[in-house]
Amino acid sequence: MADAPLTSHPVADPDLVDVLAGLFDDYRQRRPGPSVHLAFDADLWGRLDDLGLTRLSASEASGGSGAGWLEAAALLGIAAGAAAAVPIAEHDVLAAWLLESAGLPNDGRLRTVCRPDPSGVAINVTWASEATSIVALWEDRDQWRVSDVATERAEITAGRNLAGEPCDTVTFDLADLESGVVVDHTIGEQFHLRGALARSAQVVGGMDRVLEIVVAHVTERTQFGRPIGRFQAVAHLVADIAMEAALARSATDAAVARAASSDWSDPGMLFAVGVAKSCVGHAASVVVRGAHQVLGAIGTTLEHDLHLLTKPILCRRSEFGSVHEWDETLAELASSAGHDRLWPLVLTGRAAPAPASRGPG
Amino acid sequence: MPRPLIPPIVTEQPALTELRYEVRAFLAEQIRAGAFVPHVDTWLTRWDRDFTRELGRRGWLGMVVPSEYGGQGRSYLERFVVTEELLVVGAPVAAHWIAERQIGPSLLRYGTEEQKQAFLPGISRGEIVFGIGMSEPDSGSDLASVRTRAERVDGGWRLTGTKVWTSGAHEADGFFALARSAPLDPAHRHDGLSQFIVDLHAPEIEIRPIISMGGDHHFNEVHLGGVVIPDARVLGQIGDGWSQVTSELGFERSGPERFLSTFQLLAAAASAMNEGSLPLDAGLGRHVARVAALHHMSFAISSALEERAESDAGGSGAAAAAGDVDVDTAAAAVKVLGTTEEGDITDYVDTLTASGWPRGDELFSLLEAAILQRPGFTLRGGTNEILRGVIARGLGLR
Repeated sequence: MADAPLTSHPVADPDLVDVLAGLFDDYRQRRPGPSVHLAFDADLWGRLDDLGLTRLSASEASGGSGAGWLEAAALLGIAAGAAAAVPIAEHDVLAAWLLESAGLPNDGRLRTVCRPDPSGVAINVTWASEATSIVALWEDRDQWRVSDVATERAEITAGRNLAGEPCDTVTFDLADLESGVVVDHTIGEQFHLRGALARSAQVVGGMDRVLEIVVAHVTERTQFGRPIGRFQAVAHLVADIAMEAALARSATDAAVARAASSDWSDPGMLFAVGVAKSCVGHAASVVVRGAHQVLGAIGTTLEHDLHLLTKPILCRRSEFGSVHEWDETLAELASSAGHDRLWPLVLTGRAAPAPASRGPG
Repeated sequence: MPRPLIPPIVTEQPALTELRYEVRAFLAEQIRAGAFVPHVDTWLTRWDRDFTRELGRRGWLGMVVPSEYGGQGRSYLERFVVTEELLVVGAPVAAHWIAERQIGPSLLRYGTEEQKQAFLPGISRGEIVFGIGMSEPDSGSDLASVRTRAERVDGGWRLTGTKVWTSGAHEADGFFALARSAPLDPAHRHDGLSQFIVDLHAPEIEIRPIISMGGDHHFNEVHLGGVVIPDARVLGQIGDGWSQVTSELGFERSGPERFLSTFQLLAAAASAMNEGSLPLDAGLGRHVARVAALHHMSFAISSALEERAESDAGGSGAAAAAGDVDVDTAAAAVKVLGTTEEGDITDYVDTLTASGWPRGDELFSLLEAAILQRPGFTLRGGTNEILRGVIARGLGLR
């Protein structure tokens, strides 16, 4: 054995993961019955807030818990697996990060986040109607500005996404956006990457729970005198669901590990997030389709939990870049890498040699 | 929380990356010097004993074999990165593949001291070439049905029967044959099987080619006409053949050869899109993403296997990071996903090319070879249908 370590094991703090698993298992037992529209769960949010989990990834200096992306991704996944109606990705992972990047204060009140167009309108803003404040990232000619706008200062037209979450149109007063703090020019791309990876972490958490539901169903449901999981055709569908979910998880965990170890400074982040988003997006097709086929008609009903997971999975895979857009981004990276740099791209996420590379090519 | 199908991912540290660079530099120089032409599926189709011996000289064979048996005493993780670098450039690695992947680890686990001394140094130098004899004309997926008989004779066992799909038997020095050493007990079908180390140069052995549909000769039928195997060439315990064979499946099924067989074709397609001879297409991104994810999965399993090997060797019980993942089920998942993907890459590139593509072109010759090899990807090492059943069992469905 060589003396230098060959690998590292990037895992979230296991004590925290245990706490989260217990908390959300408990929530799953007690949560309100299924409904078409999801209402913000103020009770759950209060419990999370008391434990510091609504500010998990924000720095301690800004009043957060200072946890890294490994922990943030664990929280996003476990919460998504419990179909918890709380905007952790929006409030903590994105809005709190933007405020901190801009040097703006964060009082911890419920926030969501969006990117208004040049006219000050943002569409499909999840949880805007529940938030007290909206953090806007706005491209003002060739610079980016961040504003923290109280909800009552914006015009909100309520809507719902496929998952039943509030998904609203927000029209800002342009003056509120123009007075935003100018931030680093990389923030726009960073926001897109962080949003895409947060959504990937949520989808893989949801897919884990879908697999649990599927396995429980095929071992309990009996037809022709035996559990339906004993039928080879059904077993193979379940295996495909499990494999695709596992592939998506490996891709997502790898991107999260890279984000955590480099604090998002690794030049391979675009590729790593793209790999996660692509694998998650295509896995969603197999997992959602397969799960609904295996569950049969009961899985299509409002009273069954399955849609609480499958609908958000499909919503989220299309946010922060469609699956196709991410495939195109990866194709461009791969083609510009060309024949001899394709493998280094796969390993490092860089299409061109690093300036300080000690290796060949 | 459900039991995860795949162990947690691990991150490569600089010590491993340095090893990659070393292997990569050597391979680039070999390609420049014309020592080999990159190809697809080279771990089955490209034999080059000189190249294999050169790898041995450089310490890239027998990597997990302890130094007292002529190996390098390194880890499965180091072997993993060397293997990946060899496969992605399509190097001619078939001559040592089986010995390096299966025979060496099996000898380490089940071999006698004399057997280890007899074979491991030669394997580690790339001088002894091995095949594996499991399938038979009437035993494919149902391996327990093998009919090759091992009869007790004075001082050994007489083997009679026929093995098929033995890759490289016509070039190899020996193979491990699975044979029935006790009559089939229908209630315990996996009992009564044993493994034997067979010298393929023995006169009672006849090796007949099985020509693949492209006209190539990689597979063979090996007829064992009563060859006597001395007791000293029984591998492990008589009657334990089944558990010995299946205990190595994690290594056989999860390695990078299960998703990199067509990487040269993918690289050629990326290059063709860059040059404009193929249209830039999102599908390339999708396939590159899957290959990247498969690398993470396969590497995670390799790390878990390394931990298992360390704890088997009486190490400090370092298996904590792998959690309670069943590595064999995980390996089956990598094999299904990976072999499907390397075939899908083939079909994807085929759908992008038109009939007017120049035949002498590198991409076209890689594509044609990949199309011919593709059916085998999802058959060898356990068909994907059988493996889906393995995964379903791992999930608790039966």
